[in-house]
Amino acid sequence: METGDLSERLRSHDPAVGLRAVGALRRLAEQVEAAAVARAREQGWSWEQIGDALGVSRQSVHAKYGK
Amino acid sequence: MFEQFAAGARAAVASALSEATLRGDRRIGTEHLLLGVLHEPGAVRALGSDLESARAALDALDRSALAAVGIDVQGIERPPIPASPKRTPFTSGARAVLPRALTETRKAGSRRITPEHLLLALLDCEQPDPAAELMAQLGIDRTAVRERIRQTGA
Repeated sequence: METGDLSERLRSHDPAVGLRAVGALRRLAEQVEAAAVARAREQGWSWEQIGDALGVSRQSVHAKYGK
Repeated sequence: MFEQFAAGARAAVASALSEATLRGDRRIGTEHLLLGVLHEPGAVRALGSDLESARAALDALDRSALAAVGIDVQGIERPPIPASPKRTPFTSGARAVLPRALTETRKAGSRRITPEHLLLALLDCEQPDPAAELMAQLGIDRTAVRERIRQTGA
């Protein structure tokens, strides 16, 4: 889909469309993050490397996913 | 106010918290309360829809919300999301459900808030409230649900 097409769609629609999409995108981001962190750990990435890749501290990634 | 909750209603709220976590949400919303209530068999009978259908309906709503912005998530990996170490507060909509449930309890002349009272309070949610959207997606007939609860005298 073209970018112009998307911005057109967000403009022309009911605000509920954009608001619902944001909620769904946040949940999607959480799922993609959980899957990617698990894979990175399997492949030997350190918590620090994962934190840097996500733009958060090593401690916060470890607190969330470290067990 | 949680001291007025019967065991089933407490369990429903605890389940709502785990449903919020499972979905990757940071607050407990009315849709999570509805899922939480569906962990209780009496509420499943009253609503005429079960937990699995409700979870699937929320996923379907997310898929169509994402499709509206051009994202196709068919077949995407859905790993379990770890519980956040931070506390998970209620949304304002979910907070508003609790005093309404208490009103339902008083109307029924009961002393304790049951999962059915929570369900009755959730039935009053109006779109765009997330629980209302979920019930619409599930095709819930609210009048019929209220009637079933009245008949069982919960």
